[in-house]
Amino acid sequence: MDIRIENFTKRFDKTTVIEDLSLTVRDGEMMALLGPSGCGKSTTLFAICGVYTFDEGRLFFGERDVTGLASQKRNVGVVFQSFALYPHLTVAQNIGFPLKVRGESRAEIDRQVRSAAEMVRVPELLDRRPGQLSGGQQQRVALARALIRRPDVLLMDEPLANLDAKLRLDMRTEIRRLQQETGITAILVTHDQVEAMSMCDRIAIMREGRILQIAAPRDMYDRPDDTFVAGFLGNPPINFVETQVVDGHCRTQRDTVRVPLPERLIGLPAGAKLTLGVRPEFVQPSHHTRFTGRITFIESQGREDLFDLELEDGTVLRSIQSVGARVGVGDAVEWGISPHDVLFFDDAGQRL
Amino acid sequence: MTRQAWLGFGFLAPATLFVVAFFLAPVVMTGFFAFTNMSTATGITGGTYRITEGVISRLAGSEDVPAPLIEALGQQQSVVDPTGLAALAQGDFDAAFVAELEEELGGRTFASQRELEGAIRDLDNRPRRVRDIKAAAELFERSVLNVDFATQADFAEAIQAYAGPVPDTAMTALARAAYTGWSMTTDNFSRLFNSPELGTVAVNTVFYIFATLTLFNTGFALVLAITTFYLPSRQASFFRTVWLLPRISPPVLYVLLWKWLAWDTGFLNAVLEPLGVAGRNWMFDSETSAWTFVILINGFVGASMGMIILSSAIRAIPQPILYASAVDGAGRLQQIRHIILPQLRWPLLFITSYQTLSLLTSFEYILLSTDGGPGSTTEVWALAAYHTALRNYAGNLQYGYGAAMALVLVVFGIAMSFVYLRLFNFKALVGRPRIEQ
Ligand SMILES: Nc1ncnc2c1ncn2[C@@H]1O[C@H](COP(=O)(O)OP(=O)(O)O)[C@@H](O)[C@H]1O
Ligand SMILES: [Mg+2]
Repeated sequence: MDIRIENFTKRFDKTTVIEDLSLTVRDGEMMALLGPSGCGKSTTLFAICGVYTFDEGRLFFGERDVTGLASQKRNVGVVFQSFALYPHLTVAQNIGFPLKVRGESRAEIDRQVRSAAEMVRVPELLDRRPGQLSGGQQQRVALARALIRRPDVLLMDEPLANLDAKLRLDMRTEIRRLQQETGITAILVTHDQVEAMSMCDRIAIMREGRILQIAAPRDMYDRPDDTFVAGFLGNPPINFVETQVVDGHCRTQRDTVRVPLPERLIGLPAGAKLTLGVRPEFVQPSHHTRFTGRITFIESQGREDLFDLELEDGTVLRSIQSVGARVGVGDAVEWGISPHDVLFFDDAGQRL
Repeated sequence: MTRQAWLGFGFLAPATLFVVAFFLAPVVMTGFFAFTNMSTATGITGGTYRITEGVISRLAGSEDVPAPLIEALGQQQSVVDPTGLAALAQGDFDAAFVAELEEELGGRTFASQRELEGAIRDLDNRPRRVRDIKAAAELFERSVLNVDFATQADFAEAIQAYAGPVPDTAMTALARAAYTGWSMTTDNFSRLFNSPELGTVAVNTVFYIFATLTLFNTGFALVLAITTFYLPSRQASFFRTVWLLPRISPPVLYVLLWKWLAWDTGFLNAVLEPLGVAGRNWMFDSETSAWTFVILINGFVGASMGMIILSSAIRAIPQPILYASAVDGAGRLQQIRHIILPQLRWPLLFITSYQTLSLLTSFEYILLSTDGGPGSTTEVWALAAYHTALRNYAGNLQYGYGAAMALVLVVFGIAMSFVYLRLFNFKALVGRPRIEQ
């Protein structure tokens, strides 16, 4: 079932937290709401599940307008950031709670709790209480509780934020598996771009209560709409270089970097300011567009090495390369940029 | 001892002094008084030994003291004893008469002065005038009735002198009955456990505690806490403040307002009379109305504490848990039933135990409102102890008996405390996970 948010606005007292937000999540799709902390992701999620009301705008599940519907009636499954398990109930009672308040028979609840516990792989924990579970186990129980009554949509608020690194990797695949197995329409709220890119079909990237871009992860990575999106996606982050247009090229003030303009930008007037976005993987020793600089920092990441190189005018370019380059800190090098992969942003930060 | 240890004692000293002076000492004194028969009649200092009509009637039917002895003690006798003879010899009487009287009547006992006079008239050397005969007979009149003896030995000697040898058991019983001061006794307790009035008072107490506790201190407090939780915060704090007023207003003023509400020309009557309800003092109208007022007056005061504790316990529940229950489909009532109430078990247990003990011992609001009336329908144990020991209309304040009643309260309270402590510990042992995150 698809989710359609139209012109959603949310205020707390006088502060507008979300302004005129529209978003459609397709049936069976997993959409990431990605953005820095405080941008309004949780607020949006809470409004979709009915915990917060819409100040303006409409919300549709399929063709049904659920804007004014109480959360009890929306049939959404939610995994809260803190998991929000009921501390006085056992795991089985936690998972069965949505069915219990719906008045299902005990045998039916029992049967479904068992199969939900199988699905999230915690069948042996049913008699424990939340206080006796590890973070990952609580996570699975919260998922089972959210999924047990076959909700129309599944909402998850930073589901991996409270887990340690190893567990986070496991749960990433686990959540994706469950979502695909059940075919449920899902929204994943996260501030972690890796999570968003690796788990979701599409990403809606948010900033200060607005959606900046909605796209598939690869598209968004390759063709970010503006500098914010470009900077938010990718680790190590993209390099920004301030340049000006000079007869078919754009170059930095002191000509330390000079990149030919692609065909579509040839018409730009001389002197126009452009910001170049160069991802670190496109700064390599072999690439065409050459520049010289000095290595100021090397970080080994195992399979790859990360280099900071400072140009004459103080510009720092970051490069990530497979292990093997025989250079050290302080060495002067002449490396290159692949010009086809350079992103061009105008004065206002919009990609050209 | 180390410096720290001394320092520790230093810090503890004020608290220790406080506990000793205001808790231990009264308890110990109450415990002591409970085993005495102190009252207004006995005084609180010592007493004397004195046979009175009252003592004799109390002794009637006693197993220890033979009935003839009791009868004798109640009478006046004339005994021709050496004391009397010496007095006679000193007096202005004929020596021959004195000698004859000693000779003929010496050592005899007469049931009354009149009989002795008759015997004297039969003597040869008797005085001429009737008045002199009477005067002589008077010298032999003996009685222990209404005579004070400072010590038990004096008392025993006098009784023996008066009534001849008395067995030890009889003498002990006699002395105990005749003593006018207080003495140690366990009678208070047998009296207490056999008193039908106190049975009623005990039932009253249980009813009072149970009703106030369930209706107000927990029940109404719970309703207030839950309703104010769902109210917008400004209205909620207004209501909480309103319900705190009874607690913070001075008890005398607070009860006066209730009295004004209830009395003959008060608010209730002003409202009800136009509706054709006959005017009356509602506080004393019937057993039911008196209890209603007593429970309302105490309940309105007691509800606020529960409200505050339960309110903060509810607000300690993490928001996401309440959100989760809403999206899981739980309506408001189900939320209360399945999420909120389970989190309130511990505070509810605490309020119940705390308030049971405080209701058990506090009686000021009842004292100020009904004072146990009408009759003694709203008399509770603590109030009855107060009435018995410190204030009653009959005027005979029974300190000892009242102390015994108070002691029962103390022992019961301590026993309850232990029960509650066990309950709390038990909870801790079971380790129900508290709210976390
Ligand atoms: N209940 C609330 N009352 C007032 N302000 C809130 C409330 N919830 C969130 N906010 C504000 O709204 C903004 C967005 O919050 P949130 O949606 O939690 O951000 P995110 O989940 O993206 O980190 C923040 O500035 C936050 O301070
Ligand atoms: Mg958040």
